Amino acid sequence: MSKTTQAPKALRGVGNYIDDRFHLAKTGEKNLRKVFPNHWSFMLGEIALYSFIILLLSGVFLTLWFKPSMMEVVYDGSYERLQGVPMSEAFASTLHINFDVRGGLLMRQIHHWAALIFVASLVVHMLRVFFTGAFRKPREINWLIGIAIFTLAMVEGLFGYSLPDDLPSGMGVRILQGVMLALPLVGSYISMFLFGGEFPGEDIITRLYMLHILLIPALLLALIVAHFMILWHQKHTQYPGQQRTDKTVVGTPMFPAFAVKAGGFFFFTFAVTAGLSAFVQINPIHLFGPFTPTSITSGLQPDWYMGFMEGSLRIFPNTLDFTIPIGDGYPIVTAVLVPGLVIPGLIFGALALWPFIEQWITGDKRARNVADRPRNAPTRTALGVAGITFYGVLWLAGSNDVLSETFSIDLYLTTYIFRVLAIAGPIVGYIITKRICLGLQRRDRETLEHGYESGIIQQLPSGEFIEVHKESSAESTHVLKEKPALTSTALEEPETDDKGVENPDARKGMGKLRRSLAHWYTKDDVSFEGVEPFRGHHTQDEGH
Amino acid sequence: MKWITARRRHPLAGYVVVILALALFGVGFAALAPTSDEARAQTLSAEAPSPEDVDAANGKTIFDQTCASCHNYDGSGTYDEDGNVTNGPDIREVGSASVNFQVSTGRMPSMDPENQMPRRDMVMSEQDLADLIAYYDESIRIDGAGADIPYDVPGTAPQASDFEDEDAYQAAVEEYEAEYDAYIEGADDVDMGMKLYLTNCAHCHSWSGGGGALTDGRWAPQIHESTPREIYEAMVSGPGAMPMFSDGVISPEEKQELISYVKTLQAEPDAGGIFALERVGQVAEGFIGWTIGLSLIIACAIWITAKQRAHD
Repeated sequence: MSKTTQAPKALRGVGNYIDDRFHLAKTGEKNLRKVFPNHWSFMLGEIALYSFIILLLSGVFLTLWFKPSMMEVVYDGSYERLQGVPMSEAFASTLHINFDVRGGLLMRQIHHWAALIFVASLVVHMLRVFFTGAFRKPREINWLIGIAIFTLAMVEGLFGYSLPDDLPSGMGVRILQGVMLALPLVGSYISMFLFGGEFPGEDIITRLYMLHILLIPALLLALIVAHFMILWHQKHTQYPGQQRTDKTVVGTPMFPAFAVKAGGFFFFTFAVTAGLSAFVQINPIHLFGPFTPTSITSGLQPDWYMGFMEGSLRIFPNTLDFTIPIGDGYPIVTAVLVPGLVIPGLIFGALALWPFIEQWITGDKRARNVADRPRNAPTRTALGVAGITFYGVLWLAGSNDVLSETFSIDLYLTTYIFRVLAIAGPIVGYIITKRICLGLQRRDRETLEHGYESGIIQQLPSGEFIEVHKESSAESTHVLKEKPALTSTALEEPETDDKGVENPDARKGMGKLRRSLAHWYTKDDVSFEGVEPFRGHHTQDEGH
Repeated sequence: MKWITARRRHPLAGYVVVILALALFGVGFAALAPTSDEARAQTLSAEAPSPEDVDAANGKTIFDQTCASCHNYDGSGTYDEDGNVTNGPDIREVGSASVNFQVSTGRMPSMDPENQMPRRDMVMSEQDLADLIAYYDESIRIDGAGADIPYDVPGTAPQASDFEDEDAYQAAVEEYEAEYDAYIEGADDVDMGMKLYLTNCAHCHSWSGGGGALTDGRWAPQIHESTPREIYEAMVSGPGAMPMFSDGVISPEEKQELISYVKTLQAEPDAGGIFALERVGQVAEGFIGWTIGLSLIIACAIWITAKQRAHD
């Protein structure tokens, strides 16, 4: 270590002045030395944080000129093509931002691209947490906060998309209203309440604006702060390695190294967003034109994060609608209700509940700070891939008309393909992923027993050729050796006690279910028990 | 070759190979792919061709050779006993606008009557088409049924290959452009054009005129290349799955507003950036957001965490 040097006098003076009043030196020392594990996948959440900051800043800029009003005006701004066209003030003011405010179009594009990247980074961040088991105790609450942020981000995006009152906005709001109307009993009341009357009414933009710039961002900000504070308190998980245990963290201190990296990373995120915004056109509302209730167009989708809901609406069969025979008959529109609400509910519900389900199955109540390698939790990884496949198929189905046109496939055929894939895809994905995980586990055991294949071919005195296996590095050996065994407390309890009386837990329905789930979750795991590193017959020092 | 051999295990060698391969495919594809420089024929006269300029006898020869195998010699079409079209439908009452639309956009003569024909170059010369239409009007068409060719709406631009010398061509282009601009700028009610287009056309041809998918494997073609006259003819004749919008439903003045709206929109520059993503919209934007936006940022994350010193 280098010797401690004195800070410059001016700096010391300021430091002492602050410290005498707030006693920050100790807190600062502790937090500035905080250790961050060094791995790119721990930066994914930061992309989301930085995009959110970009969204806040660019959004504030836009509010200076945007008028959230549906009052009809006749456009006479500088965009010649639409002069003389009656439109809402919301649309006219967006045109004003585009063409009359300096840098306005660029800011709008930055806001939009940052939104797309924000939600995308939430997804990859969430997948990293899921596949490495970083949601396990003690981080379940932070996982739930993350799910809430994801859900709110989608709603926030949808409302923002609706504000300019251009053609796609109006169509998006119309679909939103359709899903609301499909709710039994309360649907029409909710719709009338939200729109202040019939669609589109004169209030919806003003109301969505309030939600978009005030309520939901405030909630998001609060949740992000909570997410971050909990993270700060609990620290990151870390990948397995030497000296990395549930009790010790290895990584880079917050100050200066990590702070520099993170600061630089913010500017890189901003650079990519700004670069896209400068060169790639997004949501050209001036080309779309204002929304009128009679306008409709093909080839238009919601932003990508709503794509899976659009897709589930598109492929869900309409033959399951039925009418409850009360009075004149009360229709239940399952073709909208199920894909519009039940399927997203299932996806997000399953995500939120998974940490608790897994904990219930395994009975694992210990705090876990070392991340799982995805292969070492084959059932969880396979379920995750099944989920991604389901989501991905729905997402693709949301663009079925564009796919149909681009690749010259019959539109109806795409619907049938996606229907089959939505069911078969996750199953196939589950099976393949699980097999891959188990294969990787076996290879790990092989490597641990025999060393890695060095690529060196050796001829033995007998004339036989062999490939020389070498011992892995101490780091890899440690990682391989420390593979946790998949167990469940449910399977450890005997079926009967020593007097032959059945275990009451194993007899009841929930107990039985838990036991069979525990069996399903752990049965294929490759055991590393009794494997002694490099004692197999292939390694060099053993001879052959 | 030694130079390459010495560097083939360089850490960047793989990337260089990938970039070269991509460049090769890109250039190769660009060289092989059909160019969209369509050889356009020339119909620019604002009036119908005078009877002296057309030869109906030649038109009959063309009709018998290229049309009659499906539409029959008298244009009555080919049908089975149940009255279903076998090869081609009855065209005696479709009108000359329909004939002009189908032939000038290269859809007729069809190579495969079972399938929807894409737009392509016209197979016959402009003169042959005029002769064919003269023969159709004279001998096939019943009582002038169907819509006439809207000669006052601008058709295709003149092609250099049709002119003897450069001056005549330039003059023709100027005349055409003046006529085109007069038609497009003659419309002054953007709101009406927009509402008509977005209410009647966009749900198949999309808001940008980029086309879209239809049911049963058919598609609504993109209308970027369509001339005002072709759009007009398509509306009055209702080709394929397209409904007919006669002059009684949408008046000629309204059609002018509509055509002006969509042509002006298509000519509009993309203010948002040099990459307009073909105006496909959200699907393309989402794709770029993931593949370029997020991927670049993640690549940066990998880069800044890859380098670490022992004690930083």
